[in-house]
Amino acid sequence: METDRRTILRWLGKGSVFAAFVAQIGAAARAFFPNVLYEPPTTFKLKPPQDYPQGYTFDSQHRLFVVRAAAKFHVISAVCTHLGCTVQWRGTEFDCPCHGSRFDANGKVLSGPAPSPLPWFEVTLSPDGLLEVDSAATVPEGSALTGPVEKA
Amino acid sequence: MADPRDQSSERQDFDWLVVMSLIFLVLVAIGLWREHATAWRPWQRSFKRALAQAGRFEDARKFHPGIRQIWNPELGVVDRCVSCHLGYEWSGILPASLPQPLAPHPALPFMAHHPFGQFGCTPCHAGQGWATTASGAHDGGAGWEEPMLSRQLAASCGVSEGELIQMRCNYCHRRDQSTEGMDSINLAKKLFKRRKCLICHSVEGQGGHTAPDLTYEGDKDPDLFDFSHVSGPKTVFNWNVQHLMVAGTVSPKTAMPDYNMPPEQARALALLILSWRHINYPPQYIPQAAASPEPQPSASPAPNPAASPAP
Amino acid sequence: MAGSVQRLWHKLFWPWAPASEREASEAIVRNLWLHWFPAKVSGRSMSWSYSFWLGTAAASLFVILTITGVMLMFFYVPSTERAYGSIKDLEYAVSFGRLLRNQHRWAAEGMVALAFIHMARVFFTGAYRGSRVLNWMVGVALLLGTLMLSFTGYLLPWDQLAYWAITVGTNIASQAPVLGSTMRYLLLGGNFVGQQTLLRFYVLHVFFLPAVIWIMFAYHMWRVRKDGGLAAIVPLRAMRQAEPKATPQSKSYSLFGLTPGTSVAVMSSMGLEERDQVASSPNLTRRMILVFLTVFNLTLLLAMLFNAPLEGPANPSVTPNPAKAPWYFVWLQELVSSTTVHLGSITLSGGLLGGILLPAILLAALIAWPFFDRSPANAEGVWFPRQRNRQNAVFAIVSVAIVILIIVGLYLRGPYWHLYWPWSPRPVLPRVL
Repeated sequence: METDRRTILRWLGKGSVFAAFVAQIGAAARAFFPNVLYEPPTTFKLKPPQDYPQGYTFDSQHRLFVVRAAAKFHVISAVCTHLGCTVQWRGTEFDCPCHGSRFDANGKVLSGPAPSPLPWFEVTLSPDGLLEVDSAATVPEGSALTGPVEKA
Repeated sequence: MADPRDQSSERQDFDWLVVMSLIFLVLVAIGLWREHATAWRPWQRSFKRALAQAGRFEDARKFHPGIRQIWNPELGVVDRCVSCHLGYEWSGILPASLPQPLAPHPALPFMAHHPFGQFGCTPCHAGQGWATTASGAHDGGAGWEEPMLSRQLAASCGVSEGELIQMRCNYCHRRDQSTEGMDSINLAKKLFKRRKCLICHSVEGQGGHTAPDLTYEGDKDPDLFDFSHVSGPKTVFNWNVQHLMVAGTVSPKTAMPDYNMPPEQARALALLILSWRHINYPPQYIPQAAASPEPQPSASPAPNPAASPAP
Repeated sequence: MAGSVQRLWHKLFWPWAPASEREASEAIVRNLWLHWFPAKVSGRSMSWSYSFWLGTAAASLFVILTITGVMLMFFYVPSTERAYGSIKDLEYAVSFGRLLRNQHRWAAEGMVALAFIHMARVFFTGAYRGSRVLNWMVGVALLLGTLMLSFTGYLLPWDQLAYWAITVGTNIASQAPVLGSTMRYLLLGGNFVGQQTLLRFYVLHVFFLPAVIWIMFAYHMWRVRKDGGLAAIVPLRAMRQAEPKATPQSKSYSLFGLTPGTSVAVMSSMGLEERDQVASSPNLTRRMILVFLTVFNLTLLLAMLFNAPLEGPANPSVTPNPAKAPWYFVWLQELVSSTTVHLGSITLSGGLLGGILLPAILLAALIAWPFFDRSPANAEGVWFPRQRNRQNAVFAIVSVAIVILIIVGLYLRGPYWHLYWPWSPRPVLPRVL
């Protein structure tokens, strides 16, 4: 094959423009993925573990229940898995006021249209000693954080 | 049949087109590189290593690079300082000797009342929260009115960084008689009472009317001050310090006496005066006055009973 | 497989290398993007040294502005509370946001400058006469539209620079007799620059003015076609018509070269010969791509080297010292600040004299110039012909005066609008700390 200087230059030119054009489109597309979100973060801090009483405490701002058993903590989402209403704690079970779904104390579905159990969120201890919840990370039922508190 | 292509223009245009295409590619490549080589990325890599070194392997593993921000619309806080100042909440776990910007925030006793997630950084430290570069954040660039209250800025005023920050504390804590952690301002408030400034000046509806009202003196435009008899840098802080010490020199026609007070007292009072500004924070952030108002100096006219207590 | 790829390639790119004259002409008719080209373009119109392709460069900038502008619309918020923050987000938190904003800003400044320089070129080559008078006026309208686009865009960042520049600009506009205060009230949506102003300027800037410019631009190109190309062909045509012809010339017509009339008379082909013309596809196409790519590279380079200016957030109670109009209006501000005349007890404000009357006179002269041009026909389509020396001198002097006023206003005016040499120290403005 005869490598003509003109042909090399032609392919160099076309290649450059094509590559640069693709890179530009890529850059433009990247710009549309926000780097910062003006939303409540999915990971947030609650109060220090010692501030929580035994049993179920409702956090209306974050729509979850902080459950304390002696020195163990876990967090159950209060968002009904049916259509997103906030469930209420009835002492032995969760009831959803919208369409009647019922969940047991661990979030498993007892009856109603809810398709899946209430998720448990990952809870850790933050460096400055507060309970930290990651609402984007679910953990299996039964996992708990052992807090730096005295068994009540 | 004549070749429809113009040979002469084709040759030249073609060569130039190749040149421009290559330049295009180079420019785009540089643009992509500069976008990747952000100021915060190396610091975040260092921080990940620092976490591992401190034994926090799980946290180091979960650490993902990216711009971080503290957002509180109630205070108008959009603080991206934490994209570089990553150690802020790790005091006690990460060593205080970590170099800036990774060092943890000093564990001051009142920090528990000002959680980072709610207050961010700029309400206390000023600076430009939106920025993700050091100069943009600290200095703010042309026309930015609230530079970060750095050690250098404080030194140029003759005060410490903490004292300068106390000025901003007083934006909210204005109504307190005395506040834990605000020694300089507390002193200034005592001096203000002792010197009986309210005989001539008025603040928040209380005081005399022979001298200007000082309620929002901290908002006054620097252009409105007369610096012709002020020595040193032309700052409102300087003006106030000298005016407090030798008012007759700074404002020749004034009736204010030359107090000739010690410079550190004048500086504390100047910080107090500069702290009196309009702020837009919701009421739940403003500590309300606790004690009843002190008795007013007898020389002043009867105070307005509906007015809020004196600072 | 290789065969079908080759066929696809040929299907897409055959206009680039037409195999025959007929194919070259067909390219224009069969391709949507190329239909606004003539089948053939004269070599003189293609000349670099005649037009410097300034018009194409200005149009390229407008395309760049439209694309970057639409992208910016996904991030900018036209609210007085949120506009400034959205610009800061673009600068710091949006990937490539700073580049996007910078490119938009420098393309805008370039377009104002190039529109004016292109107009100067058209004037100096006398290319506004005869059938081109209408296009000249459309061109002046395009220049005004460009200035308005730049002015409305200037307000959007809602910083001190924007707020006070628009305050100054609209105050100058309000000096117009009779309609002045109404115009200001309409523009501002009230008595002061505020949220209503921002919203109106935003809609003007992103929709109304670009739409008007695109339509006028289409007409501007249409007129170039109908006029047979650039005025550079006028002297060439005269020369060809004067030559004795050996054989009658036959032409192939492009479908879009038809003009109304009793005969199929095509301006584009009247008078010029085969040897004077080249096929538009690919020569004109290639040249346009080259101009666009060069302009794009320039704006990208400027965007990487220089940041679009941004000052502190708009503060209606604090006027920056000094407060300047955008550079393309700062010459007006210079005039306004120096043309206040006191005649006894009567004061004629500089805003009226320098801000309204003088520019109105200049604009009227610009629009009406073709009708006062009495130079002969052979003074058209060439640079600085002798017969147009006086006219060109007038235009050049006025242009240079405007440029000098811009330089003075931009670089030599300091606090309190006092004159400062670039090397003399400016007074240090007081700060809080």
